[in-house]
This record gives sequence, structure tokens and C-alpha cells, in this order.
Amino acid sequence: MKLNVNDRAYDVDADPDTPLLYVLRDHLQLNGAKFGCGLGQCGACTVMVGGEAVFSCLVPIAVVGGRGVKTVEGLGTKQVPGPLQAAFIEEQAAQCGYCIPGMMMRAQALLEKNAAPTEAEIRTALMPNLCRCGTHMRIIRAVQRAAGSMKRGHSG
Amino acid sequence: MPYAGGVPLETPFGTLYGTNITPHATTGIGRWSEPDFVRAMREGVDRNGKHLYPAFPYQHFTLLPDDELHALYAYVMTRTPVEYVPPANKLTFPFNIRPLLAVWNALYLRRHDHRPDPMQSAQWNRGAYLVQSLGHCGACHSPLNALGAEKRDDYLGGGYAEGWYAPPLDEKNPSPVPWTTQALAAYLRHGIAPQHAMAGGPMQGVVGGLAQASGEDVDAMAVYLVSLMGVSTPDREVRENQSLALANASRTDSATPAPSDARERLPSGASLYIGACASCHAEGRRASSGTALQLSLAVAVHEGDPSSLIRIIREGITAPEGERSRWMPAFAGALTDEQITALVTYLRTLAPEAPPWRNVSEQVAKARSSS
Repeated sequence: MKLNVNDRAYDVDADPDTPLLYVLRDHLQLNGAKFGCGLGQCGACTVMVGGEAVFSCLVPIAVVGGRGVKTVEGLGTKQVPGPLQAAFIEEQAAQCGYCIPGMMMRAQALLEKNAAPTEAEIRTALMPNLCRCGTHMRIIRAVQRAAGSMKRGHSG
Repeated sequence: MPYAGGVPLETPFGTLYGTNITPHATTGIGRWSEPDFVRAMREGVDRNGKHLYPAFPYQHFTLLPDDELHALYAYVMTRTPVEYVPPANKLTFPFNIRPLLAVWNALYLRRHDHRPDPMQSAQWNRGAYLVQSLGHCGACHSPLNALGAEKRDDYLGGGYAEGWYAPPLDEKNPSPVPWTTQALAAYLRHGIAPQHAMAGGPMQGVVGGLAQASGEDVDAMAVYLVSLMGVSTPDREVRENQSLALANASRTDSATPAPSDARERLPSGASLYIGACASCHAEGRRASSGTALQLSLAVAVHEGDPSSLIRIIREGITAPEGERSRWMPAFAGALTDEQITALVTYLRTLAPEAPPWRNVSEQVAKARSSS
């Protein structure tokens, strides 16, 4: 199976009905997306496929086709974090951090469609993703901060 | 804000927005007298004599006796006034011409009192009254004619609501396991009942409302509706047995929930089922499966129309913000139209008693363009 992840082409030896999450983590060693529930209920596995935020635990690789996959590793690096990553750091939006890659990818999908979301739009968009530490208010602020910095065209 | 209006309702004639019925003097109904209110409820005419659209179900409220209208008036006039003007309706010509509703009313509006059936129990009669009046179940579950009026000769014979198929509640009811009074009452109150699919689409709002109704009233509605569905027939028993057998097979072998040849005939749909659905739906309703049901027991695969199955795959089931509810993830972003078409076609094989759907790809495209 051919996959394009973070603008890099991969050839993966896996069953077509294998969840994308397992391929990302076990075959490609992209461990940003997390396994939480495996039922599409928590959002920890959220990545982008063709610009849409999806639960990668419920997306078999067969359905990805030619659509590009983007994971949290595709947003920036440790040395040069992307605007969304930088905003999450600035707002200290992670506590345990398990939900954060999924939160970031759902927020990224939102910001690519709507560069200046209202707080209500951010809340609605992020609703499928859960955080058990309760950092929601910081996450909302981080997304607002990222929207601002993306608009100004620089990170942080 | 409760009762302040603005909730959009998609109709074949355009989009209507709920009006503000809080007692606000200028934007709500604060200056309405009780006779104004009663006239609106029974005749579909507002305080200024303007015709209301029948999406406001006054044709059902004609059944309400005076004392119930009096109680409703007292209730709405004691809510908190909210200053809010809902968006203007967006209706297509000629439906945007309100005076034409006088013609509609002349054709379809009947003033009638509710007459109890002396052959039936008091509970059945209470249920009949609630279903036909305040419940106005027929607004979605009855077929409509070209002018949006319910067809009287096919009461509760199945209809549409905001792009979802509202199944028949009469003897044509397609539920694979027949409804019992107990199961239907649980479903109406909680949106979930054993061996039945969860409430989705516009039914979620109905369940939210009925959760606040009295248990006796919901039980009465269930008694009446189950009586309309009638007694079991040989055809229904075949459907029930097949559905239960497929559900059991799905529990032991998630790869083959469908009749044995379906997997070979429809490999892409089968593969999608395994990758996207089986982790929750194969085992059936357990805590570890997110209370998902085996799909041979889901009414949406047995219906005459794929609309609801397509909608639920695309949109899932989500709670209104801040409320608890049942949950299913949405797949609109993950699956392409082609993939949803393949999946829906495969899932139809879980209803071996029913003919294949012929227009799945068109319906999938329609669901995408209207969301």
C-alpha cells in the first residue's frame, strides 16, 4: 500500500483494513498520534487526511488512497515548532499531553478552513476530542493564539 | 436561548427559522392576548393576522382542548423575555407568498376535537391523543404531498425530516426486531433500547423533549404506536430471525457479518466495514463497544430508502453543545462519496429480506451537497 504522510511517500506492507493509526505508529514510527479508545470516542488518534480531521483508529489505510496524511510531526520540529505547536507551548496547554497531538491536528484542520474562528467555532470543532486533565481553556487560548500568529505570518 | 427562536428547519420549500415565542414585547409574543395565542395554535395565524407556515404544526394543535391551550399560554408567557430577532426565512417562490397559505389551510386544515375510541383503553386513548396532537409524530413520519401536507390515507406511513428517512410507524414499520411497548417507551425517553438502533438525526431533539415528559405519557404513546404496528406476520418473523442470526454471526466472526457471498461480491464495502465499523459494531452493545449495535439489527439498513444510513455514517450522532447524549463518530471527512456508497451497498446485504437500493450514489452526493 502506498501512503503519503507529511509530504513523504511510503510503501507499507499491511492489510488494507489495518487502521491508519497502527500503520503510522508501528510501521512508520510516527508516534505523535495516540491510541486512546480505538472507538472514535476520544480523539487522541486524530490526524488529517486530505485536509479533514479524522479518527485514525477508525480509518483503514485502504480508504486513504491518494489523499495526503498529515500528523503532528508534520506541523514542525522540536527545533522549529510550527505556529500551532508554538502556541500550545506558549499557553502551556498540555498537562499529561496525551490528547494534545489529536487536539492540534483537529485545530489545524479548523484553521486551514477558517483562519479566524470564533471561540464558539473552536469549541464546536474540538468537541470530538477529550482531555481528561481539563486543560480545555488553555487549548482554546492556544488555538486563538495560533490563529493570530498564522495571520501575521510568523510562528509564536 | 430557550424559546427565543432562530433554529433553522430545512424543508423542500426552503429554510424556515423558528420565531421568538418568549414574552418579549417587541421581538417575542409579549403583547399577545390569550385569544391571539389560541388562534395561532389552532388556525396558524399570528397576532397581526399574518399566516404562519405549517412547519409550525398548528394542524396538529387543533386537537388541543381549551384547558391545555390555557396552560400552554400561561407557561410561555412566564418564560424569561429575550430580545432576539431570528433570521428571515429563505423560501423559494411561490412558497414565500404567505397569503397563499389561506389556500393551503382551506385544503388541509381541519378543526376537530379528539374523540376517544371507546373500544380501547384509557392509556391507548391518551397515547393516541399525544401522538396526534402535541407529539405531532406525523409531521415527519407521514408521507407529505407536493404541498407539504400529510397524506391522510397513509398516516404514519413513513416520511422525511431534514434529509433523514423517518420510518413508518404503522404495520410497515421496518424494525428488524419488532417493537414492544417497553422497548419503545425506553427508546422515546432515552434514545436507546435493547436490540434497536440509537436515536439519530432529528429524532435526537424529540428524545430530548420526551425525556422531560411524564413517564405515564411516554408509556401511553408507546402503547398506541405499538398497536399501530400490529401483530407479527410470517414475513416479519423471517426478518427478525435472519437479523438475529446475522448479529450472532457478527459476534463470533467480525469479518463475515453479512450473508456469505456478500464479502466476495462487494469486497471494498466489506473491507470498509471491517476497518471502520467492526471495532464497535461487531460485538454488539457492550461497554467496550461504545454501546454500538450489530448492524443487522439497525433499522437504517432495513428501510426502503438509504437516506438515514448515509446521514448517520456521514454525521454520526453528537450531543447538542453542553448536553449528554448517545455518540457515534462522524465519517464525512474520512470517507469519500465512493467509499460511503460502497459501504452502504454492502451494509444493505445485512437485510437479506429487502431488495438492494438502486440510487445509493445519488443519495450520497445529495447528502454531501446539503450538509
